[in-house]
Amino acid sequence: MSSSGSGIRLRFSVEDSASNSSPSRRTTRVRVKPKKFGDFLDLTPTKQQTYKDISSSDEESDNEPNEAPQKPTALFCNDDVEGQDMFKFKSRHTKHDLQNKVRAAISNSPKPTDSPMKTPRKLVHSALLNSPHVKVTEATPKHVKDIIKKRIINEVDSDSAESDFSGGSSSDFVPEDSNHETDSAPSSASSEDEEETQQPKRAVAKVPKSKDNKTKVNDSEYFVTPDNYFMMHSSKKIATSDHTLARLKNLNIDENETENIELSSEHKNCINNLCQTHKQLFNKWLYVMSENFNIILYGIGSKRSLLQQFQKQKLKDFPCIVVNGFFPSLTIKSILETIVIDLLENNTVPSNIGDVVNVIDTQLTENQMELFLIVHNIDGTMLRNSKAQSTLASLSQIRNIHTIATIDHINAPLLWDHNKLSKFKFTWWDVTTFMPYIEETSYENSLMTHRSGALQLSSLKSVYQSLTSNAKGIFKIIIEYQLENQKQAHYQGLPFKDLYSKCREQFLVSSDLALRAQLTEFLDHKLVKMKRTYDGSENLVIPIDNVLLQQFLEPQIG
Amino acid sequence: MDTTASVSKGVFLFTNGFKKGKGIKKKSEQPLFEKMFMKEPWYETYKQNWNYIEQQLQDLHHKSYSVLLNNVVDYIKYSGINETATLEGVIPSATLLTGVNQPDHVSQFTALIDIIRDEVTPHVALVNSQDAPSIKHLVENTVWQLINGKTALENYDEEDEHISPTKKLRKSQCTMKALKNWYESRHQSPTKKKTLPLKKPLVIIIPDFESFNCSVLQDFVMIVSGYVSIMPIVLVFGVATSVSALHNSFPYHVSSKLLIKVFHSHSSVVYMNQVLEDIFLTHTCPFQLSGKAFELLTDVFLFYDFSVTGLIQSIKYCMMEHFYGDNLQSLCCDREQLEELIMKLSAEDLESIRQLMSFRPFLEQQDCRTKIKLFEDDNFFREALYHELDRHHDYLYSFYMCLRLLCVFVKDLPKNTLGKTVREIYTKCSAECVTETTAFKDCMQLLKFQSQFKMVESIKNALKIINSYLQVVSPVKPLLTSPTKNNSNNLSLNDDLGQNFVKSLRVHLLTFLRQIENANTETTVLTNVSPEADGNDENVPGNRYKLKEKLLKATRVDRVQSEFEMVRSRFVSYLEDMFSKGLQSARTQPFHEILLFTDVSNVRKNIIGSPRGAVHTALSNPVHYLQCSCCQLPSSDSVTESLPDVCLAYKLHRECGMYINLYDWLQAFATVLHPDEEDDQRHQHPLTQLRFTRAVAELQFLGFIKSYKRKTDHVMRLTW
Repeated sequence: MSSSGSGIRLRFSVEDSASNSSPSRRTTRVRVKPKKFGDFLDLTPTKQQTYKDISSSDEESDNEPNEAPQKPTALFCNDDVEGQDMFKFKSRHTKHDLQNKVRAAISNSPKPTDSPMKTPRKLVHSALLNSPHVKVTEATPKHVKDIIKKRIINEVDSDSAESDFSGGSSSDFVPEDSNHETDSAPSSASSEDEEETQQPKRAVAKVPKSKDNKTKVNDSEYFVTPDNYFMMHSSKKIATSDHTLARLKNLNIDENETENIELSSEHKNCINNLCQTHKQLFNKWLYVMSENFNIILYGIGSKRSLLQQFQKQKLKDFPCIVVNGFFPSLTIKSILETIVIDLLENNTVPSNIGDVVNVIDTQLTENQMELFLIVHNIDGTMLRNSKAQSTLASLSQIRNIHTIATIDHINAPLLWDHNKLSKFKFTWWDVTTFMPYIEETSYENSLMTHRSGALQLSSLKSVYQSLTSNAKGIFKIIIEYQLENQKQAHYQGLPFKDLYSKCREQFLVSSDLALRAQLTEFLDHKLVKMKRTYDGSENLVIPIDNVLLQQFLEPQIG
Repeated sequence: MDTTASVSKGVFLFTNGFKKGKGIKKKSEQPLFEKMFMKEPWYETYKQNWNYIEQQLQDLHHKSYSVLLNNVVDYIKYSGINETATLEGVIPSATLLTGVNQPDHVSQFTALIDIIRDEVTPHVALVNSQDAPSIKHLVENTVWQLINGKTALENYDEEDEHISPTKKLRKSQCTMKALKNWYESRHQSPTKKKTLPLKKPLVIIIPDFESFNCSVLQDFVMIVSGYVSIMPIVLVFGVATSVSALHNSFPYHVSSKLLIKVFHSHSSVVYMNQVLEDIFLTHTCPFQLSGKAFELLTDVFLFYDFSVTGLIQSIKYCMMEHFYGDNLQSLCCDREQLEELIMKLSAEDLESIRQLMSFRPFLEQQDCRTKIKLFEDDNFFREALYHELDRHHDYLYSFYMCLRLLCVFVKDLPKNTLGKTVREIYTKCSAECVTETTAFKDCMQLLKFQSQFKMVESIKNALKIINSYLQVVSPVKPLLTSPTKNNSNNLSLNDDLGQNFVKSLRVHLLTFLRQIENANTETTVLTNVSPEADGNDENVPGNRYKLKEKLLKATRVDRVQSEFEMVRSRFVSYLEDMFSKGLQSARTQPFHEILLFTDVSNVRKNIIGSPRGAVHTALSNPVHYLQCSCCQLPSSDSVTESLPDVCLAYKLHRECGMYINLYDWLQAFATVLHPDEEDDQRHQHPLTQLRFTRAVAELQFLGFIKSYKRKTDHVMRLTW
């Protein structure tokens, strides 16, 4: 809604920004520094005036409903999360934001540091700046910096009154950036100086922030300032450092060790308490579902175990179907098949969705069967198409089917239009559990583990171990050749006839046919790909990252 | 053992002992759920109430749709008979402009089908867009429904041998040709039936015109037009936007085959007002929504979905919430059952009633002895409770009547701040004592300037309402032909509410009506201005200055009110009195909690839901959920090491731009976790890496980041 409506207030202030940027500025192409939400209210009395006008005309709107828009009165309340908390454009991210944040976190942390000689602040600073391979400043090319510098100067010129306050973290630290340029590895003393200069600035910068908060109380509308968006996207350059994870020594961590992660005991208790409170809802859920509403659960944390408990405690006597929406090769057909064939013992599933739903509906009512459909992650990748969702919606609409589903993705409510929503008849329940998404993310190509390739490596190993010694030799030849030639810009692969001659040299195969037989096994396992070049010769490539191959070879050699 | 974790399967079935066919034996236990709640008195009352409301909804439904649907049906009938008059190959088609909300239209179309089946023809097919992705499916579905539809059931006994061959028709065999053969065999060939049936039209309904693929529909129309000379086919389109949609999607050669007649249906706002006013804002429905709840639901309707079905479901949800698990809500019932149910209440239930907030002010009004008795003597309490609830029903009766009266008087006023519809006024009245508000006072002020004609009209309307209200309770006696003329002086409202209140109100209004109708509007001006001066002024028409003078003088002249004005002001003050009595806020009534639903905030969460807000709160301020002592943050932006890993990673990622370097992110993460370790070691810590890995994986799962291929070890932020 709609209900997917998430209690967020947005108001576009297009006319504001238009009136704000005077034409002269436009022509000179000097970027007007984006103002924060608070500035609009504080600094420009005219804006405030227009806003007041709007609200006053709203009061009169009952007279002429067609002219002034009506305002919702009860939709929003004070508990709502402010839209600007979630959707605010940051003025401009610099690579130092992260650093500053960490620094602030540590300096704020009440923990006394062990070594009195080194203040933690310095430590971080040196950690991020002085570490041997890190040269932060190299990441931004000089001309970008110059542009920024010019911009700052312009800003200072154009509105000197505000520049101190609303620059935010970005403009605060860019000058510092240029300092580093001259001295890429600053001594701890100089960094301390900077700290000192920064502190007062920050203290000043805090002032308008608190003002922001005050205005937020008075008026909770969030003005989207589109300028910020374009500012953010104006530069194609990525202002991040060039570090890669290859710097980590123990790159391939075993994913299975995730169970070892221990939470603090307090958090454990808290999470237990949370789950207990959620369990008290079980009876209510049953009641709600008995009245033909369906249930959707949202909130951070895996809701799988909670649902399992619900199933165990309350649904012992009912047929249930559990769908893992996060399962990567799930199809909507398999869900329908489970219902129609496995549960209702039919032979075939009709091809048309409307027919399937009809069949299920009539057979369930004939048998007076109440079916529970538990969908973990109804927003799972395979269920994200409209066909799957409309099928699920039609299923949920059936009187005898009761759906209880979870969502985790932040954009999940976009899945449903009001047709589907009205079929689903969801009631929304916030069941934040803070439990780790172990099962849910286990299928996923996690960014970190995918990169470290632990999965690929282990599967490569297991396949390799099942090979005959001759086949192992052949495979090794291909790997070695690939690694030797990895520097080539357009590596075409190992030509088949070269491989053959090499294999013959090592007495691995005796005939062309035998080699081909061996290769089919590799091809079947997708260990090797066959590519045909223009001249008709066949080239063999291993579609695996060279770093991984290197790692794979290391223990073999050693 | 986790049975639903698998790498090869995504769907798991737990039959829990259910087999096909087994359920039939268990007929005794048919309402599987209901047995869980059935014993509870609150559930029974809830069911009763809801069934009653559902019944009323259906009635209303029929009433409000009937005009439109009858028009459509008439058209279909007419086109069926007049089929010879139509041009060759032109299909008569009705276009129903249904308005934006498609989910609501399902009921409309089922009602239409019912009426068509009853009155015109048994052969009706309704094809939704999702069932007809291609022309083949569309034709199959239509033909199958036309042949196998309800006819099979209705005429089963008399046409047994006739139906059986067609019944075997598989869906893939359903073509227009099959339809033609079937139709001819039914209508052309001499059948054994006693009367040769009229050529009954075949009606094909397409409820969601816009969702269809244009070319499919074009082809379909062309095909049908080829058969229309043989079989009388009528098309019905449901169009959500406007007729132009029809013209846009059909080119000339197609639209020339259609004889389009357009029917307009009510807008959904009108329908919503009707539903609310006729069903929920009445004294007959014991369940009452507080003004705030009401506002919420109408807001959802007006700003989110325009769906009356959705609105009704939300109200249903509020009702469920109101009754759930609380036996004292079982008293939220009809007046007749009240006594019986009160006697059924257990001592505990009574105790919880004593703890209601509104019991306290009620208690304070009683003298000491009754107070003690109320607490100690359950039976005495029961009696008091009965008395009060009975009074409450009286109160509701007069409240809603006054509400409607207020609406009648107020709705045409300029600059109306109270609102125009009953629901708007209700939200104002139920929140506070409306007569104290400035809006109400303004309205009364404006009423004092109303013309005689207008006033008479609104009083007449008001009387109509009163009569209808009295009719509900008892048949109205023939109008008292002569209410005592002089009782206008002692117009005082007696204390009791309910029927007596309304009756006396009626008498008073009648008196006023007569007085106002007969009142003289002429104002007698006490003139002390010399007449000759007047004459002079009139002789010099162009003299502006003089005119101004004269007008100024006129303002100074004491005006004596005319008879009408006197009556009018008396009437308005009477109205004020009356409304302040009748429109007391429900919250002032003792035991209003039993009938009035006020817990809006909970319901709001469940009806609207704010997944994104919950995720944001949990990640930026986990204390809100965890209630732990270790993660108290000075501001929502700050970070500490004790935060859950996901929260920490989330907060750090919010500091980055579009792209995030994983290595730097990891370092920042590790630094927060281990601020006092050596630089090199802390991020090499395998446990730290693991925690970070998992946090990143979870953020990816939540949709905050995704991998970025262009630069190694970078991820892309998906939020601003």
